[in-house]
Amino acid sequence: MNRASALQVLLRSGPGFGGVSLLCLLIAVAVYVLLVFPLDFGESRWSNPIVWVDNPKAVPPVWTNSLRREARPPHRIFEGTEPHTVQMARSGPVHSWRFPLTYASSHPPTFLAVTLADVKYAERPPLVLISLKRPDGKQLRIYRHTVRGPREGESGPFLRYGRTPLRVQLSTDEATVTAVQNFLADEFDLRLDGAQIGGRVDQFLFGVPTGDSVKALTPLTGDYEIIVQAALREEGDSVGKVRFVVGGAVFGLMGTDSLGRDLARGLLFGVPVALFIGVISALMSTAIGTSLGIASGYLGGRADITIQRISDIVANVPVLPLLIFMLFIVGPSLWMIIFILVVFGWPGLTIQIRSMVLHMRTNQLLEAIQSLGASRRRVMFRHILPQITPYVFAQLIFGAPAAILSEAGLSFLGLGDPSIPTWGQILEAGFRTGGIYLGYWWWIVPPGLCIVLTALTFMLLGLGIEPVVNPRLRRSPP
Amino acid sequence: MSLFRPLLVRSLTMVGVFFVVLLMLVLTLGLTGFSDRILAATIGEQLRAERTALAETIRDPDEMEKVLEKRREELEIFYGLRTPWYYRLPRTALRVLTLDLGEARSLRSFDGSNRVFDIVTERVPNSMLLLTSSFIITAIIGIIGGSYLATRQGSWLDRFVSGFAAVSFAIPTWWIGILFILILSIQLRILPSGGMYSTPPPTELLPRFFDLVSHALLPIITLVLVSFGPSIYSIRTITLNIAQEDHVKIARAKGLPESRVRLRHILRVAAPPIVTGLMFGLAGSVSGSILVETVFNWQGMGRLYYDALAGTPDENVIVALTFIFTLMYVVIRIVLEVLYVFLDPRVRYTD
Repeated sequence: MNRASALQVLLRSGPGFGGVSLLCLLIAVAVYVLLVFPLDFGESRWSNPIVWVDNPKAVPPVWTNSLRREARPPHRIFEGTEPHTVQMARSGPVHSWRFPLTYASSHPPTFLAVTLADVKYAERPPLVLISLKRPDGKQLRIYRHTVRGPREGESGPFLRYGRTPLRVQLSTDEATVTAVQNFLADEFDLRLDGAQIGGRVDQFLFGVPTGDSVKALTPLTGDYEIIVQAALREEGDSVGKVRFVVGGAVFGLMGTDSLGRDLARGLLFGVPVALFIGVISALMSTAIGTSLGIASGYLGGRADITIQRISDIVANVPVLPLLIFMLFIVGPSLWMIIFILVVFGWPGLTIQIRSMVLHMRTNQLLEAIQSLGASRRRVMFRHILPQITPYVFAQLIFGAPAAILSEAGLSFLGLGDPSIPTWGQILEAGFRTGGIYLGYWWWIVPPGLCIVLTALTFMLLGLGIEPVVNPRLRRSPP
Repeated sequence: MSLFRPLLVRSLTMVGVFFVVLLMLVLTLGLTGFSDRILAATIGEQLRAERTALAETIRDPDEMEKVLEKRREELEIFYGLRTPWYYRLPRTALRVLTLDLGEARSLRSFDGSNRVFDIVTERVPNSMLLLTSSFIITAIIGIIGGSYLATRQGSWLDRFVSGFAAVSFAIPTWWIGILFILILSIQLRILPSGGMYSTPPPTELLPRFFDLVSHALLPIITLVLVSFGPSIYSIRTITLNIAQEDHVKIARAKGLPESRVRLRHILRVAAPPIVTGLMFGLAGSVSGSILVETVFNWQGMGRLYYDALAGTPDENVIVALTFIFTLMYVVIRIVLEVLYVFLDPRVRYTD
């Protein structure tokens, strides 16, 4: 059967078509990830908490809002570099940024945070003020910060917050708590101490106290405005970047984990990793299994006995306990996982190939070739190998899901390679930190589905290819 | 009849497996220098303990150093750190073989012992409970379902099961367990999410038993769910192949009742390959049970792995677990091999 018609048979079968289209999809995603993501994504981003600091922690995906009666607030990030307005005051120029925020949810934001970066000044440090203008017309200053002045022996111009930007979590900042305290006393005649406000800053900022009870708050929806002002001292002073984060209770396509990591990105990065693990381990163990099987079957004698004994034993070893043991001793690395999977993965194929070759050895064509003086190597590679190639190819495809599942299981036990995030590791984090018992399904279900989908892709491909490879199965439907 | 010889050959293969695993353990521990590191750490710990004891009697720091240095030498000779690992480790292997497994660093058995032997052995029955019950259930479902499906070849049920079997190979057992916890335990609160008994455990025998069953239900269902599809499918295929053989046709032609044909002429002949199939499934369920125990906090050996790996790893426990797991696996395999020899008369005549 030629290649074109083989492909036709493959595509005409249900599983074959499904497998091929899923594989195309996975490869497309993998290529996209390899182009867009940095290769050291694991170390430089995924395991780096600073990258995820402005994300809400352990919140579901945005689209869950459409399943809920009451929408949760989305995550909002406001960023400004060039000031929106520049005014001249007596003390110097005042740069200001105005971020309009329409707030429709009855949930308060999960947190408020501000980040300042690249503040430059010539002589005297600038002053940064942040105010919140509420829909009820009231306005309060929630943050006030004087940039650190010149140090002894330091000469201008000065750069502050260049490499490490200043980040303040307003929800827990003491000054903000005091500001809210004063605001409540002045505007609502409500006198509370710091402990009563602490932890509920966002609720007070985005709500109106009602009645007598301290706890009673009605959420205030409408158009807010966040005003950031930088009172500079001289012409040429500047604030390079202002970033204001209104923490949402939903995030992105896939939500976040308890460190605020964007799960969508972790899941995406898992695609090429899983494909790599599956394909490489299947390729290598198939190569070893096939060559040993041919050698065993064709050479016979002592080589055959040795190979058969070894593969008998290796095939009967309970692999997972040994895998755990080895990884524990040698230390978790993706290459080690693949290596061990290959070392234990070949015997099944060797035993099958041997029996096929034994069967073949008696056929007359081979005998004729041998009597013409072909070398043993030539017989093995030019005459035996091509005949079993289709079968080997099918086994290659069936080998990939096993490798993917094994890696996932090991990662789930905490033996995954820490520098390369995989689906198994995401699941492990969700399990170990107790996310599962808190019902964080968006953290638990998608990575497992990804594993199943990828493994299924190869299973379907294998099922689709089997009739192509094995003509006996290509019978008309009953 | 010589039942003895095939039994011996098969048992020897399994003993070979066992020794190969032991050899690999020793080689890994030795070649990576891991065993030396453990010993050095043990000696260091002991010295630190002795230093505080000695500080009571010896005041002079120089003398103290001298005494400790001498003590270190003694300990290094005592633990065998001075001899290379390839002399020392075989002895360690022998020690492990006699089930002298050393002491755990931080893990304790349920009644507080720190001997690895106590910690591991009290968990073996728990693991066996999960493993054997799910294995037997899977085997029974497989045999009944498979022999039934063999008579319905090509029906929608047949096609469904073969599809389901294929999908089963693509599903991680432990993830199904997690899904069950998420849906049945956390959302619907029908079954407990983990552990073996409620806290506090019931004291009376019958309530205690039912408590155990309710906790075992989810892990067993999980293990069975992912393995019964392939089991049915492989048994169906084996039975189908035999049902098409001539001797079955003859039996039918003789007018034997269908039930007798199925039982005596098909299933009896199919028994040996079915047992072989189950044996290969066993390795899978051993692995599956390690992860499923972890998920359901089932106090078996699999969960012990997880506990020994988390935090400060407990080397002795991990070595002992790998060893005991292999031992357990080998023992079950030998039982099945014996069963196979009795089931298949042909093995008795050929080598």
